Amino acid sequence: MDEFKVELTGKQRAGSFLGNYGLFAILVIIFAFFSLTIPEVYFTWSNVLEMVRFASFVGIGAVGMTFCIMTGNFDISVGSMLGLAGVLGASISNIAGGSIGMLVTVAVTTFLGFFNGIFVTKLKIPAFITTLGMLFIYRSLAYIYTNNVNQYVQGNIWIKIGNGSFLGLPIPIYIMVICYIIGYLLLRKSPVGRYIVAVGTNSRAAALSGINVDNIKILAFTLVGIFVGIAAIINSSMLGVANPGMMGEGWEFQVITAVVLGGTALSGGNGSLGGSFLAALILVFLKTGMSNAQVNSYWQQVATGLVLIFAVSLNKLKFWLIGQTQ
Amino acid sequence: MIKFLKLYEKIGIFILIILASIFLAIVSPNFRNLDTILGIIMQGSYGAIIGFGMTFAITSGGFDMSVEAVMGLVSVIIAMLIPVMGFTYAIIFAILASCFVGLVNGFLITKVGISPFITTLSMQVILRGASLLITGGRQIVIAQKSFMDVGASKAFNIIPMPIIYMVILFIIFYFLLNQTAFGRHVAAVGSNEPAAKMSGLNVGVVKTLVYVLVAFSAGVVGIIRTSQALIGIPTMAPGFTLNVLTITILGGTSLAGGKGNLIGTLFAGIFISMIYYGLNLLNVQIFYQMLAVGIVLLFALFIDGLRIRYLEASKVKGIRI
Repeated sequence: MDEFKVELTGKQRAGSFLGNYGLFAILVIIFAFFSLTIPEVYFTWSNVLEMVRFASFVGIGAVGMTFCIMTGNFDISVGSMLGLAGVLGASISNIAGGSIGMLVTVAVTTFLGFFNGIFVTKLKIPAFITTLGMLFIYRSLAYIYTNNVNQYVQGNIWIKIGNGSFLGLPIPIYIMVICYIIGYLLLRKSPVGRYIVAVGTNSRAAALSGINVDNIKILAFTLVGIFVGIAAIINSSMLGVANPGMMGEGWEFQVITAVVLGGTALSGGNGSLGGSFLAALILVFLKTGMSNAQVNSYWQQVATGLVLIFAVSLNKLKFWLIGQTQ
Repeated sequence: MIKFLKLYEKIGIFILIILASIFLAIVSPNFRNLDTILGIIMQGSYGAIIGFGMTFAITSGGFDMSVEAVMGLVSVIIAMLIPVMGFTYAIIFAILASCFVGLVNGFLITKVGISPFITTLSMQVILRGASLLITGGRQIVIAQKSFMDVGASKAFNIIPMPIIYMVILFIIFYFLLNQTAFGRHVAAVGSNEPAAKMSGLNVGVVKTLVYVLVAFSAGVVGIIRTSQALIGIPTMAPGFTLNVLTITILGGTSLAGGKGNLIGTLFAGIFISMIYYGLNLLNVQIFYQMLAVGIVLLFALFIDGLRIRYLEASKVKGIRI
């Protein structure tokens, strides 16, 4: 096989190094930095567990979003979707108990994701603007349904999912790991994953080779919905309450940042679930570190915006170094 | 179908406005006097003015999500500068600041190559944070009462000033888009960017100027609104970007790029304001306004989607339209 070995130039080596280890290096640097500056609050086992527990909230949302962005679309309505499903599920849990409430939450987001997919593919309108409209519609429906009143989560099972522990680790961490394993199997070991890559890389070629492009895109949006539902269950459980205005506000920004920072190209086709996972950890490690170090919360907001621009620029740099045009 | 769509493109927004007027005239006796009508047009002028800029952005195939945050930033800057340098210079400085934001957007989009949506969305978050940071999260009261004349006075004691600004800016933007080389360049970039590049256009400069124009129009509205409230508000107009986009797309500017319709934008701004007025009459909660604008946006997208689809189909068949 030696004759197939490709000689990499220095630039390409730097690019592939950046792609493979860049995120991990950033994570280590952030952790080391805050561990050295504020060791007593940051560098403790309980804090690390707590941070990973919080990362599950963004991390699980990022699984579905990775699929969606890999098809070359994205869904900016996830934050409102989370809020709407959260208040619906929580209010149902008051009548029918926790398990039914959780089922309703996932069912609602799955349906909304499917609906987004239908709307985007059948209308041939860019996904960002369609889902931007949905962002406002879902949020206003959450307000209208609850009359702007908090919905409290009922049922021991539901409360335990976000706050309980199993073998010393918080339950949300297990759920996140399971979500990523399912996502990995779907993306790398099933035909669906190959279709998604094909559609994202060149949707015209995919259509000509017999793939139903619209159905794959609808599936990707539905997957977004399913994982948003799981994240909504965890978020409602952690807080014990679903607020129609606050729940999931700005969450879409974190999820998209995580996916893009994870190395998934916005143009589609090229993506990595492992990257999304590391990126979700990076975001939470950075945010917790800044909060612990008592950085002004407005600075934190500025930083979240800068991180997304930085993430996209990093991707551009990586592809430029490798010499692959997006 | 194509005929219907072509017809809709020309007169659709006027029909919507006429229907809304008839409806409002029947249900609300107040609607039948001039002050109310001028009030509605004034409320619509904010969205329409930024919509003019957004029309350029969408015509060039781009997009700007940062407009609402630019309004907040301008509001804060002007409130802080008025005590220092008086309001004339403060206005000039605030306008320059908004243009600078547009310049940065343009730089990130054209030179770094980040998609317009992601760039301006990040810029929205950054500017909101920065505005809050400047004021420490507070609102700033402006002591100089005469600044209020900028946005809250009436020309000839009848017409509110924002309407005058809207008309002036409409004339300028209309001239820019339809009568100048720059306007044709914007349309060329939007309809086929590689072709525009190959025919020797400096695409980067054209696009950057477009984002400066959007930010400029947002800056103007930020100043008007600040002058009316006499308060610098860092979190001014949350969610206003949705209104602006809805207005622009409803007005007939296609997301496919290359085709801007400023007259449509102007009237779509007034139409959205009529919807707000109607909802206020019904005395419903503010969430319903958000829902209504979202649904109008989906309707506008639906029409635009049909248009793109049928235009593509007719191109394939070789039909000339």
